[in-house]
Amino acid sequence: MAMEDQEKLLTEALNQVKKNAFEMKTCLDNNKLMDALKYASNMLGELRTSLLSPKSYYELYMSISDQLQHLEQFLIDEFQKGKKISELYELVQYAGNIVPRLYLLVTVGMVYIKAKEGSRRDILRDLVEMCRGVQHPLRGLFLRNYLLQCSRNQLPDGNTQGEQDGSVHDSIQFIEQNFSEMNKLWVRMQHQGHTREKERREKERLELRILVGTNLVRLAQLEGLDIGIYQKEVLPNVMEQVIKCRDAIAQEYLMECVIQVFPDEFHLQTLNLFLKSCADLQDTVNVKGIIIALIDRLAAYAHRSDSGGIPAEIKLFDIFSQEVTLVIQGRAAMPVEDIVALYASLVNLALKCYPTRIDYVSKTLGCCLEAFKKREVSKIDSSNPVYKELIRLMKVPIETYEDTLTVLKLENFPDLFELFVFQGRRALSLFLVQTIVDRDCIIPSSEEVEQLFKLISPLLINQPDQPKEPEEDDDFVEEQWLVGRLVHLLKASSPDQQFVTLSAVRKQFGAGGDKRITHTLPPLIFAAYKLVKQYSTLQQQDDKWEKKCERIFQFCLQTTNALTKVKPDMAQRLFLQGALAADQINSETIAYEFITQAMSLSEEESSDLRSQQATITLIMGTVERMKCLGEDNHATLRTNCAQASARLLKKPDQCRAVLTSAHLFWSGKVAGKELQDGKKVLDCVKRSGKFAQQCMEKVVQTQLFVELLNSCILFTHKGNDEVASTLTQLFDKVKEDVKGLESGEESEQIRKHFENTLEYIRNTSGHFGLSV
Amino acid sequence: MRRKGRSVTGKVSIGLKGRKLEHQSVRVEFIGQIELFYDRGNSHDFLSLVKQLEPPGEMARDATYDFDFHQVEKPHETYTGTNVRLRYFLRVTIVRRLSDIVVEKDIAVHTLSQFPELNNSLKMEVGIEDCLHIEFEYNKAKYHLKDTVIGKIYFLLVRIKIKHMELAIIRKEITGTAPNLCTETEQIAKYEIMDGAPVKGESIPIRLFLSGYDLTPTMKEVNKKFSVRYYLNLVLVDEEERRYFKQQEIILWRKGDSKVARQMVTEK
Repeated sequence: MAMEDQEKLLTEALNQVKKNAFEMKTCLDNNKLMDALKYASNMLGELRTSLLSPKSYYELYMSISDQLQHLEQFLIDEFQKGKKISELYELVQYAGNIVPRLYLLVTVGMVYIKAKEGSRRDILRDLVEMCRGVQHPLRGLFLRNYLLQCSRNQLPDGNTQGEQDGSVHDSIQFIEQNFSEMNKLWVRMQHQGHTREKERREKERLELRILVGTNLVRLAQLEGLDIGIYQKEVLPNVMEQVIKCRDAIAQEYLMECVIQVFPDEFHLQTLNLFLKSCADLQDTVNVKGIIIALIDRLAAYAHRSDSGGIPAEIKLFDIFSQEVTLVIQGRAAMPVEDIVALYASLVNLALKCYPTRIDYVSKTLGCCLEAFKKREVSKIDSSNPVYKELIRLMKVPIETYEDTLTVLKLENFPDLFELFVFQGRRALSLFLVQTIVDRDCIIPSSEEVEQLFKLISPLLINQPDQPKEPEEDDDFVEEQWLVGRLVHLLKASSPDQQFVTLSAVRKQFGAGGDKRITHTLPPLIFAAYKLVKQYSTLQQQDDKWEKKCERIFQFCLQTTNALTKVKPDMAQRLFLQGALAADQINSETIAYEFITQAMSLSEEESSDLRSQQATITLIMGTVERMKCLGEDNHATLRTNCAQASARLLKKPDQCRAVLTSAHLFWSGKVAGKELQDGKKVLDCVKRSGKFAQQCMEKVVQTQLFVELLNSCILFTHKGNDEVASTLTQLFDKVKEDVKGLESGEESEQIRKHFENTLEYIRNTSGHFGLSV
Repeated sequence: MRRKGRSVTGKVSIGLKGRKLEHQSVRVEFIGQIELFYDRGNSHDFLSLVKQLEPPGEMARDATYDFDFHQVEKPHETYTGTNVRLRYFLRVTIVRRLSDIVVEKDIAVHTLSQFPELNNSLKMEVGIEDCLHIEFEYNKAKYHLKDTVIGKIYFLLVRIKIKHMELAIIRKEITGTAPNLCTETEQIAKYEIMDGAPVKGESIPIRLFLSGYDLTPTMKEVNKKFSVRYYLNLVLVDEEERRYFKQQEIILWRKGDSKVARQMVTEK
């Protein structure tokens, strides 16, 4: 029916209600009860309509039930004045139409109870029984809802009332009967009317479900309802009704209702019955959702601080595990993703309630695996609905265990992993590694390394089912960095063990191919250098420490060598880092070896001119810092560096590199002592100046001289008299040169540089004898 | 109001308003009469008792006469129906030469019964094959006039779309003698007992208070002139307004109510 029609009908009905309600109230004011009842009956007659949608009918009902309160209040006043309500109770039953009659009967019945004239128990029984007369689903549901609402505060509860007045048992019986009748009516709606309106009907039914559910709410609100009654009486009856009605919508809703309205303590004592009932539900019922709701609720309960926890005698996990399996077995049509979701929930339960029982989780994973076998599920890709659910299941233990590596102890976990195609395995591996890294979970031994790396192999090596060679895009790089970060979590019980672990990792990483090792090996090498440092602190305890360090350096050398082809500049830096590490344990031979490795690599590989200059600077920087070298090795290195500097191609590069090499002769250390060879430094400075002089471009030349001046000031500052003596001359030259610069952006920068230099000189006591 | 076996006693006062009255005699009669409306003027007296109050002569003053029809048997109950009326009345006649002076006064008579010795419930299964099967049960076969019909309808098979169900009380007034019987049917009450369509297995309660309706006891072959019978008619109406019904006779009787019985009627 069109919306406007509905509105029109509703408006008309509401107008009638208003009119009759007004008359009713006028009669009540004039104490004409009989006439008032007549108008009340007319008003209630509006509820006989079959034309309104449930929504409109609800509005009408609400409006009328408001009005009936006036009547009720009047009647309460009447009985207080001494009128006999029992006569009225008979009188209203003369009404010819059943719907108005029963509404009136309920209204008067409640006053009858309040007046304590008759047995409350008998009145309630009578009312709930008489309501059978309305078999029309919508009208019946609302009538019984009215009964339920009115009787809200009138139900006998507890055991305080006498036999006549009824006990909580009578209330239970009353609500249960009302519930069962309402449910029947509600279910019946499904089967009335044309099949093509099924969708609309189901929507309407969902709108009305709360009316049925309120019965269960009312039951749960009874204070006298204890666990014993619930277990023996209430739940069995409710379940019987639910199963018997054979209606999926009702079953699904009511099961959820039961879970939500009754306390957790009750659920704990009645798990078997509830779960067994789940197995008897219609095939189309979302049993998964129901069981999951219960599991989640109990898991949350067990976790809550105010709960007493799960009583020891209730084998929560065993019961669920057993019943869930039975439910699954009994439902051949259950989609595999639902099965997975159920097991996921079970895993959640095991984790929340029995955090130490790893075997529970393992067992559940095993059941899941079994289900896959039975349904012949494998090669799960993202188009498969199982994909999402299984990912979710696998993530539960990863997320829940404080020590994420506990998942390695779960049997069947790897087997489930294997069911995914590459994409899923990769996603899960990433999630696992990310979680481990985020939580700084320590990886304590090579055993875990092997298990873990086996699991996350999709990140480590190319897989047979990989769609294509991985591209070196941002995702890939980030993924490999993440893997690299695992290295920092390797913390074995002893340095020796740590080395075993690192070696194990090395083996795994090594198999990853060139694209991966550039990202994964550097952190490993750094970890190895760190281990060297650790050994150096253990000299007293471990007399073989030196030998062991040598092995580490060999390991690093080999590992770095693996990178020389793929990423020479990275390898070079790692060699230099190695040299510094060796220097720290005072091992000249090793340090020398690493430096020379770096230098030869620069000769072989550096074709890029810019990087050549950078490389030689880096090498010189390293040599400058080292303390362990003897005169021979140091002389070779510094001479080599100076020569290499002079051999660079471009004049500015030569100029700068030679100037840098000057530092080797001053702060470079032989056997720990600075050389401070002023003459050699001056030679370098002069040679650098010569290279600068050779630059054709005035701007470049001036810039180089400013830099040269700065270096000279530094050397003078450090006490190099030879350089100091040339300072005035150089200063005057630079001053002139800067003055002579043509204007331009570069010139401006140089001028600024010079001015800063002047500022520095001015702030230095003595001004180096310069007239600034 | 008189009960069946009680005496009918009273006083007759004649006021002369100062004049004298010559008469053939003064008498009082107690008459039970059945009138059939379609047979006007042909009433049938099933009871006629006469007492002479005054022999022929002349009355000079106002006079009052006591009369007493001692323990007169009144076999039937007063009844006014569509075609028939059964009445009791007192008739005082002052017989005169030209025109008699006649005053009539009706008396209502209730026949009170004892609780019936045998009063089984009425139970019956009825139906239309493969369409509708119901079983109904009324708690009694005999109800007194202030009684309540309690019952239940069980739906054993429902293949029609029932809209509602009602219980009607029907009165049948049968007059005349075969083959000239005349039956008047009247619906005394219509009472909805179910709204909507039940399904198999439902049971619907019945509770009908009789005291709200204008009923008389069941009367059978009253003086071979007429009968009044009552029926409970169970009617099911389907969505196409077709009616399915089953009539079941019930016996109505008047329960003795001491308060009512002792009430005396003052007559003129």
